[in-house]
Amino acid sequence: MSDEQLIYKINSSDPSAFKMLMEKYQLQVFRTVMGFVHSKEDAEDITQDIFVKVYQSLASFKGESEFSTWLYRITVNMSINFVNRNRKNRLLQSLEDIFTKPGNEKTPLEQLEESERDRRIQKAIDSLPERQRMAFILSKYEELSQKTIASVMNTSEGAVEQLLQRAKNNLQRKLS
Amino acid sequence: MKTEQYIDDLIRREKQTAPNPFLSTRVMAEIEKPQRSEIKRIPVWQAFAVVAGMAAVAFLGISAGNSYIDNSSSETVININDSQIENLEYYNFDNYE
Repeated sequence: MSDEQLIYKINSSDPSAFKMLMEKYQLQVFRTVMGFVHSKEDAEDITQDIFVKVYQSLASFKGESEFSTWLYRITVNMSINFVNRNRKNRLLQSLEDIFTKPGNEKTPLEQLEESERDRRIQKAIDSLPERQRMAFILSKYEELSQKTIASVMNTSEGAVEQLLQRAKNNLQRKLS
Repeated sequence: MKTEQYIDDLIRREKQTAPNPFLSTRVMAEIEKPQRSEIKRIPVWQAFAVVAGMAAVAFLGISAGNSYIDNSSSETVININDSQIENLEYYNFDNYE
């Protein structure tokens, strides 16, 4: 069933259609949110809030853009709002993750080094300017085309390309 | 070059993280919550009927209280004679001997 048909059904008070729509997109939304928050629990909570918001504002969706584009816009905005609100808590969370990560075949020292490296990369991604971070996450976590990213961010493809290049350079500089 | 590999590796691992399989059920429950509370909400006329009933009971109580007329006199004294209450003859052993 197409997105338009599902939306029509939802607007005709059919909650099962919303469940179908959610199951179709929940992984994409979850992955994008993970790019911003780097924590499974937070990503699940935000994904839940995003879909509740989508359900509540679905009547205002005019269909001028693709549903997925509209959904990505909501996802990105709500993720950024969450990150800005919880900046302090997230530092504690990332420190906690170092000590609570499940063990694998690596030695404790290797695990600690890997956790530390992950934390540095996450911090570097989080410290990117907002628009660079949006473009980077949509490109790397969702593998969206520059055209799609441009329509999500309401900008041109050239600008997205520039943002991605700057994000890459910034990350290299921060992590070298 | 190595930095790029580390970034890609982290992204790959984060992308592999799967959400809770009951996430959609959680969302559906969250969506249905306000609707359920709306159903439970008491209609205005019922609330009004309860308040009106309470006001009527209070009014009747006050009216009944006001209609009471006190006929007792301060000169009246209660006189209780214990000998009338208890038959002391019963204890008079001679009568039953």
